[in-house]
Amino acid sequence: MSATLTKPVRTAVTDTAVTTTTATGPADSRSAVGCAPAGLSAAASRAGSWLWKATGVLAFLALWELGPLYLAAPSTRVFLPPLHEVLLAWGRLFESGSIQGHLAASLGRSVAGFGIALVAGVSLGLLIAWYGRLNSVLNPLLELFRNTAALALLPVFTLLLGIGEESKVTIVAYAAFFPVLLNTIAGVKTVDPLLIRAAKSLGLNSFRLFQKVILPSAVPTIFTGIRMAGTASILVLIAAEMVGAKAGLGYLIVNAQSSFLIPDMYAGILTVSLLGLAVNFLLVALERHFSRWRTAVGA
Amino acid sequence: MTAKISLRNVSKQFTVRPAGSAGTTTLTAIDSLSLDVRDGEFLTLVGPSGSGKTTLLDLLAGLSTPTSGEVLVDGRPVTGPGKDRAVVFQQYALFPWRTASANVSIGLEGKGPDGRKLSRRERAAKASEYLKLVGLAGFEDRFPHELSGGMKQRVAIARSLAYEPDVLLMDEPFAALDAQTREQLQEELLRIWRTTGKTIVFITHGIDEAVYLGQRVAVLSARPGRLKAIVDVDIPDRDGGEDIRSTPAFVEQRHKVWTLLHDEVRLAQDAGHRKILPDGTAPDEPVLGEPAATTRERSAA
Ligand SMILES: Nc1ncnc2c1ncn2[C@@H]1O[C@H](COP(=O)(O)OP(=O)(O)OP(=O)(O)O)[C@@H](O)[C@H]1O
Ligand SMILES: [Mg+2]
Repeated sequence: MSATLTKPVRTAVTDTAVTTTTATGPADSRSAVGCAPAGLSAAASRAGSWLWKATGVLAFLALWELGPLYLAAPSTRVFLPPLHEVLLAWGRLFESGSIQGHLAASLGRSVAGFGIALVAGVSLGLLIAWYGRLNSVLNPLLELFRNTAALALLPVFTLLLGIGEESKVTIVAYAAFFPVLLNTIAGVKTVDPLLIRAAKSLGLNSFRLFQKVILPSAVPTIFTGIRMAGTASILVLIAAEMVGAKAGLGYLIVNAQSSFLIPDMYAGILTVSLLGLAVNFLLVALERHFSRWRTAVGA
Repeated sequence: MTAKISLRNVSKQFTVRPAGSAGTTTLTAIDSLSLDVRDGEFLTLVGPSGSGKTTLLDLLAGLSTPTSGEVLVDGRPVTGPGKDRAVVFQQYALFPWRTASANVSIGLEGKGPDGRKLSRRERAAKASEYLKLVGLAGFEDRFPHELSGGMKQRVAIARSLAYEPDVLLMDEPFAALDAQTREQLQEELLRIWRTTGKTIVFITHGIDEAVYLGQRVAVLSARPGRLKAIVDVDIPDRDGGEDIRSTPAFVEQRHKVWTLLHDEVRLAQDAGHRKILPDGTAPDEPVLGEPAATTRERSAA
């Protein structure tokens, strides 16, 4: 049982390490070293390193722009418009306000579903971890639900809740719930027993022990779960919107495709990527903020 | 002479699952041990590994209950952890998400003995005071990962002193430190003990440390832990500026403890306790103390 619980955590931890190194890469440490006298060269090297990091993305964008124009056959070009056409389409959609509308619809659903998952996952996770009995009863059931792909349940939710907002919010909540729940349980279970002994010897009662020792030491693990949940909720939401919706980024993409507005479709896809990046960035920053004490000195 | 702490025929047994077998057996960690610690005394406790020192400390701290016998502090039975006792662990056990100051003041966050709650500022002031006492003034806002091992242990000591317990229970607190830091902290602990008049029970593996710090040294026998002997450390002119470790009196007492302990360590090894498994059990664990009796007879012979 503990093995299944620790699994998501472990992947999450490696995940964090990767994102951390990319985020606080050489640019940050170098700028910290280079003080006033070397300011100019530090700035230069910083710009250089940013440029270096952006190379991959720039090369990809260049390929996107030039590939369809010079490499692709005219028939393919229709389905693979160059970047500037996509950006123009995005500008049109932005001007007409439709992209904002779709974005707002998607954001509203994911925030609602994610919020529900957060509250339910953390509180239930704390409860389950605290009462060992509950854990042994619920764990097999949780395993079953966790391993049922959320999208496989979309038809069920649609049948029960209709194709309106409820079914989409529910499926987002479902997908985001398990990472939060399992990481909360794991976080509470992996508290250093020595710290518990120390806290008890300091005269903390059960409630204070939970509040002052178990919860804070579980917070970084819980945040890892929250970050995973953020990614999962966007993924599932877009898919759900593609299947049946009247608004939202997923709907925009599918609708543009079926109306043969190919640049609009790509504009939608681009928006989804940017949204995903923004959400992940925000959650990583939050996670880092709450795990400050974990970072080793000089790291 | 009033007894601050008094152990009366205390035994502690654990139920263990020996490797490779399904059933459980009983492991006697401490066997009918009786010991009095005077008010304001500095008692050091030595014994071979696995002789039940930590188990004994847990009993005193109220972190576990004896299987039989009584643990009394101030004449009252210990029913759980209390603000009259504090524990310092070998691995520091600081809360990594709290700064040094917040670690020190965690014991002050509840209601005080007078039923009053200290304000945040009062707690911080108290934490600063105790950090200063252990030589860490100015380190209030450091997180544990920003401190060296010696500094961490100082913070832990400050934390245990901050809520003003009468008794300080220390489990090999300096074992993980380098020799110089250890010597420095021994010095400071003695100074703190002299100025505060606390009762200290100090577990150690170091015979030098035991004799240097303790007014008395209690020697535990190999498992099951019994009180083998108590050595009164009688070194004249302790407070003098001299290095007492090289005085004849110190050398003599040290040798006495060494001899007592050495017999026990050999005994423990003969009994195969050297091969203790990671789960804390020994494969040739005497079942229900019966072969242990044989060992004891052998030692008597
Ligand atoms: N919770 C427990 N469950 C089972 N056995 C235990 C438990 N705690 C301690 N023991 C056993 O009791 C014996 C005494 O353990 P203890 O930790 O008190 O030894 P110690 O004297 O502190 O040793 P060391 O010097 O190595 O720290 C050991 O054989 C240990 O395996
Ligand atoms: Mg021990």
